[in-house]
Amino acid sequence: MDKQVREKIVAITEQYSSPKTAVLSALQEVQKSGSGYLKQEDMAEVATLLDVPLASVYSSCSYYSMLNRKPVGKYHIEIDTNIPAMLAGAGDLLAHIEKRLGIRSGETTKDGLFTLSTVEDLGACGTCPVIQLGDRYFEEMTPEKADKLIESLKRGQIPESKSKVVVGGDRKVLLRRVGQPNSTFISSYLKDGGYKALEKALGMKPEDVTAEVKSSGLRGRGGAGFPAGVKWGFLPKDSGKPVYLICNADEGEPGTFKDRQIMEYDPHLLLEGMAISGYAIGAKRGFIYIRGEFAWIADILERAVEEARSSGKLGRNILGTSFDFDISVHRGAGAYVCGEETGLIESLEGKRGNPRKRPPFPAVSGLFDCPTIVNNVETLSLVPFIVEKGEAEFRKIGLPNSSGPKLFGVSGHVQRPGVYEFPLGTPLCDILEAAGGVKGNLKAIIPGGLSTAIMTAEELGDCNIPMDYDNLPKRGTSLGSGGIMVMNDTVSIPAIALRAIEFYAHESCGQCIPCREGASVIKALLSKMVAGKGTKEDLETVLSLTATIKGTTICPTGEAFSVPIEAMIKKFRREFDALIQQP
Amino acid sequence: MSVTIDGKLFDFKPGATVLEVAREHGVKIPSLCYHPKIGPAGRCRICVVEVEGQKGLETACTLAARDGMVVSTDTPKVLEVRRMVVNLLLSNGEHNCLSCEQNGQCELQDAAYQLGIEAPAFVVDGPPAEVDKSSEMIVIDRRKCIMCGRCIDACNKVVVNEVLGMGERGHESRVVCDTDRPMADSTCVQCGECSQLCPVGAIIDKKAIGKGRVSNLTKVNTTCPYCGVGCQLTLHVDKDANRIVKVTGREVLPNNGMLCVKGRYGYEFPSSPKRLTQPMIMKNGKHEPVSWDEALDYTAGRIKEIVAKNGSDVFSAFGSGRITNENNYAIAKFTRAVIKNNNVDHCART
Ligand SMILES: Cc1cc2nc3c(=O)[nH]c(=O)nc-3n(C[C@H](O)[C@H](O)[C@H](O)COP(=O)(O)O)c2cc1C
Ligand code: SF4
Ligand code: SF4
Repeated sequence: MDKQVREKIVAITEQYSSPKTAVLSALQEVQKSGSGYLKQEDMAEVATLLDVPLASVYSSCSYYSMLNRKPVGKYHIEIDTNIPAMLAGAGDLLAHIEKRLGIRSGETTKDGLFTLSTVEDLGACGTCPVIQLGDRYFEEMTPEKADKLIESLKRGQIPESKSKVVVGGDRKVLLRRVGQPNSTFISSYLKDGGYKALEKALGMKPEDVTAEVKSSGLRGRGGAGFPAGVKWGFLPKDSGKPVYLICNADEGEPGTFKDRQIMEYDPHLLLEGMAISGYAIGAKRGFIYIRGEFAWIADILERAVEEARSSGKLGRNILGTSFDFDISVHRGAGAYVCGEETGLIESLEGKRGNPRKRPPFPAVSGLFDCPTIVNNVETLSLVPFIVEKGEAEFRKIGLPNSSGPKLFGVSGHVQRPGVYEFPLGTPLCDILEAAGGVKGNLKAIIPGGLSTAIMTAEELGDCNIPMDYDNLPKRGTSLGSGGIMVMNDTVSIPAIALRAIEFYAHESCGQCIPCREGASVIKALLSKMVAGKGTKEDLETVLSLTATIKGTTICPTGEAFSVPIEAMIKKFRREFDALIQQP
Repeated sequence: MSVTIDGKLFDFKPGATVLEVAREHGVKIPSLCYHPKIGPAGRCRICVVEVEGQKGLETACTLAARDGMVVSTDTPKVLEVRRMVVNLLLSNGEHNCLSCEQNGQCELQDAAYQLGIEAPAFVVDGPPAEVDKSSEMIVIDRRKCIMCGRCIDACNKVVVNEVLGMGERGHESRVVCDTDRPMADSTCVQCGECSQLCPVGAIIDKKAIGKGRVSNLTKVNTTCPYCGVGCQLTLHVDKDANRIVKVTGREVLPNNGMLCVKGRYGYEFPSSPKRLTQPMIMKNGKHEPVSWDEALDYTAGRIKEIVAKNGSDVFSAFGSGRITNENNYAIAKFTRAVIKNNNVDHCART
């Protein structure tokens, strides 16, 4: 480890009260500056530098999929093969690149130039197939574009990557400014009336801001739909400890790619939302925990934070008041479970992202055992509107119990996959229409990210189903994060089920036996089934596992796969039965 | 304050968990990750119970007892989850009891027995897990590991040697030493606390392998003879062969189960052929066996002679950590009262 890296790590540790917190960031720095992977000596050096046991460095290091422990080629091509990508032809792309480079996934070319890997969902469901190359994405890839990319890399040139965005809907609040030139700069944000809500909030009492958010009925957009104001109300009064605000920007659930649109194109909207929320809950420190793969978006956020600081919107004495609030952007390193709020907190503390047992809930004891509020990017970005326009205006959008606008990410078999902003309760058909309609004959949709139960075309009928927190549960599924995956009749549901459980088995943190072993057994049985070697008993075993696993795990991941797998089997039983070996 | 468990009312002290209350009163709830010494972990999920008025199941190890709470530990729902947990663990790995050192003293086997599981309900193939035999005293058999994490907590929270950690993720998770070194090349000091807390046969004492099954060994509680701490230990003795097969620490003061490498693994000396079993006096350049009377008379005579000739200052006595307090007291008394000096010391003085 050279002196520069060492100094950088020391500087990172100074940001945190405990040097241990910097384990992940330190490993990321060493990997970046060195040979692209971490040797045992590197881990040992980090352990010495941060004064932590060797085993805790290793256990963190080996938990995260972005940290390499084996040499990789000069260019590491990583292909997302999750369901939205699968629906968009990632399988063909992978086969093409394998042939082109003469290696299989997981291998490196003899000249050491390329390593090819497959990865789980990259949060680019609308622009699949997608290739991650270091800290950038190449989206909407085709075999031809991949050839060009490889040619260019062979010449030592990394082509410019422009992430593409398709947005739509009524775009009243969240996506209003997406697509405008310079939308990420504070000047543009101020010109559009930005940071006015912050000014207004700072003129109010913090408890009045919380009350406003509470009566707006704003429900968490991260998946669970828990009312934000109610959550803020769980903070203990006068605990004597600092309060932390964490923005959950992990966006890892297959089908979900909405938060990145806000962060990539309107970062100040999020920062303003965080500053107001921080003021309301009495926090002086906020963190944005962003998935490590979104490296360039993290850069955008860091620059925006810097801008906001230098124009007095963040930092000390914000807008001339006595309110201090600052934000750090913290990069994850590749682990879906770190999107679960307590896993996120562990990861932010530099450890494995293993979810914690509750109680205590984060509002009572979260980051560094202090009261902590975790909210999703979209949730926090709605706060400025509520404060500026008033809760009544917010409630005018959407339904009484599902108020406000919502981002719907539409991926899979539609003409225009993208992120669409509509009021909660908007019928599915309107959203699908905005996305250009279904490509081919509709077979099924997964309405709210991979963890929600699939709906068949028969159930959907004319798709006149209000998309909100009450109507979907009435139909046996849920809104989740709002990631709608559309499948036409070319899709085999057993194959989708297998791909789904592969994802969860790969991402289970491994603490709970039902999740760790359950996912791996279901994966083994479904893969046997898809290979045509399954039996009736195997299918019954899967069903009995999914029924029993629900509600027996530390975090909701156990449910997150038992619910959708069970629904796929029950609703498409015939397709599974057809695969069963006849005696 | 009291809780009802399976229809019986039990008093409890504030702060107690349902598992603690149940165990205190002899109600059996299996636990694989929980151990009293490391506290509730909530990972294995086998200790689930049903609480009246509550929808889901709760893990008894993390569930604080509340006054008036009504708990059931053997409803069909509870048993179904337990059966699933055990079946999932048995479904992969190599849980072969036939020649396992822990056969008869394995918490997974006990749970399977309690649930009446004769054979795994389903079997899937997994990648083979490896066995680390590099260390002199300890074997890590990852084929049998159920990733309960007890050994890791034992190493990091109980003895604070900070060697073991959990590596990888999900089903690939594995117990590692340092940065995934072979145990022999790691910072392990071989205290064996991990082996003591492992609920199954995944971390075992190397020297005991094949030397005797749990059911054939007699337990003898004693005090460690090595140093002045006086750790309490249990010898597991093969009476027929008159041999100590292994040593475990007793979960009582002063050591609460912990031992050092000597106390746990240095147990061959009682049956060592090199051991002194009778007094000897050097005669004509050779040690010759003599009677106790002769030996004591000779020693007393020589002490008297030397002290008379050179003064009492030439005498000094060393006590030992390996003899009793009373013996050590007698040595000190003898030196001060009979020889009349203060030259007394002790091997366990640091
Ligand atoms: C396995 C798992 C993954 C999750 N991933 C995310 C995520 O990527 N982003 C997110 O905002 N919430 C995620 N959540 C939900 C969070 O735990 C938490 O409920 C949410 O961040 C709270 O914010 P909200 O109330 O604003 O929705 C996840 C939950 C689970 C169980
Ligand atoms: S449910 Fe799965 S992901 Fe969640 S804590 Fe348990 S093992 Fe980890
Ligand atoms: S080695 Fe034993 S104590 Fe350690 S995790 Fe495995 S089963 Fe548990």
